[in-house]
Amino acid sequence: MAEPIPPIVQLTDVRKAFGSVEVLKGISMEVDAGNVVCIIGPSGSGKSTVLRCINGLVSINSGSIRVDTHQVETLRTEKMLVPLRHDVSMVFQQYNLFPHKTVLENVLMAPIQVLKRNPDEVRSLAESLLAKVQLADRGDAYPGQLSGGQQQRVAIVRALAMEPKVMLFDEVTAALDPEMVKEVLGVIRDLANEGMTCILVTHEMRFAEEIADRVYFTDGGIIVEHAPPKQLFHNPEDPRLRAFLDKVL
Amino acid sequence: MSRELTHALIGFFGVIAVLGGVFLAAYGGDSLDAVIVLTNRASLLLIGSNSFDSVGGGFLANIGISLASMVVATVLGVSLGGATTAPNPMVRNTAILVVNLMRNSPWLVVLYAMLYLIPFRLSIFGTEYWVSPAAKAVVGLSVPVTAYMSEVFRAGIQSVPDGQWESARALGYRRGAILRRIILPQALPQMIPNIMTTYAMLFIGTSLVVVTGTKDVLSVAKTVIASDGDDYATAVYLFVLLLFFIYCYPIATASRAIEQKIRKAGLHG
Repeated sequence: MAEPIPPIVQLTDVRKAFGSVEVLKGISMEVDAGNVVCIIGPSGSGKSTVLRCINGLVSINSGSIRVDTHQVETLRTEKMLVPLRHDVSMVFQQYNLFPHKTVLENVLMAPIQVLKRNPDEVRSLAESLLAKVQLADRGDAYPGQLSGGQQQRVAIVRALAMEPKVMLFDEVTAALDPEMVKEVLGVIRDLANEGMTCILVTHEMRFAEEIADRVYFTDGGIIVEHAPPKQLFHNPEDPRLRAFLDKVL
Repeated sequence: MSRELTHALIGFFGVIAVLGGVFLAAYGGDSLDAVIVLTNRASLLLIGSNSFDSVGGGFLANIGISLASMVVATVLGVSLGGATTAPNPMVRNTAILVVNLMRNSPWLVVLYAMLYLIPFRLSIFGTEYWVSPAAKAVVGLSVPVTAYMSEVFRAGIQSVPDGQWESARALGYRRGAILRRIILPQALPQMIPNIMTTYAMLFIGTSLVVVTGTKDVLSVAKTVIASDGDDYATAVYLFVLLLFFIYCYPIATASRAIEQKIRKAGLHG
């Protein structure tokens, strides 16, 4: 029998406190390469903090996080974190595009300036990625000239241009008008179908059910329950999860 | 012509007319004599020399000192302002302490202190330098203005949303590069009005450098009054006031205009 492939992302008993407030109280989680994992849960349950710990934006107090070959909690300086940020890209709720740069510049700058990639190669990659999200003709526009949905698609392209192994999505549709939610989810769906490892914090339960290989439910800084979506959404065991699903579905 | 520009011009010529009115009220029938004195002394007051061929100080010295102080204060203030937002608490708190110390030092006290703190002769690597009063004035004025500039800079950095830092860090940028490539280009337009206001304030402050013995416009004015008689003191000081006003008013007006423009752009953007 073949040796099982270890998960690409593995969190073990991760704890994090901001001041005296303990946000994560022992989170353990595994994500296999090519899988899509959705994290759901009430506001303030620590979902977004989990994502920020995975790419080292937030340092943890105890436990361990491994992403591929990176042992995240040992990366103490910004310099040591650069290789991790190459492998893990993140898309934010508020898009966070750089408003003083054009769409194309937003996509090109980090691969060229941080990863020192060849500008011509990055440019052709950027152009094909922009075409994939139907924004090929908006490369010279500034973020302020785009709709929210367009900006979020650019943000996804910017994250993909780092050629990551794992993509983190932090409530990326929460700030969008309903008709734009669809176009952004469509892009994520395509990515998932291509085999990109995705970890999503989301309030789109239908989307989570459709796309996820596994869904984690967090509440009060712990993972209350995790299971494949069919089981988690249709046969929830924990009363907290049941109450939560009653409210949101 | 836009309404703002009309208002600015009315303000400009209005103040000049008021100064002229005070002048006429003070001198009445002797106004012509006073004008002749001012005309004869104009080059001395403006450039510190009796003819316009050479330069020895006067109002031009105030401009020079203000520009030099501004350059020093900007360079130091940018570094200090950056330090007040540093993640390291030691660096940050030290910088905040220094800023508060410098910001709360009365300008005149600092200038007097420089007069006695900085020696007349400075020996650097065996070479003797004579420290001119103007150099001391620049150092003295730079102290409080550095603090103001660091505050302008800090406020500019903090005007950029945290999400910009976060997404830049997620893309692998380090702090220095984030400041240089992402935060400052967005913060600078916001900072321009405050920088201009600080400069206008600094320029008005150059009237204090008279205590260092610099041949600035005020010390020249005192010399002129001493030689031409106290009768013309009012005329000379009104003239000096006019010079300061003509120089500072456009800066203040422009900074207000830019500020409004930025506010409007912010509302629509």
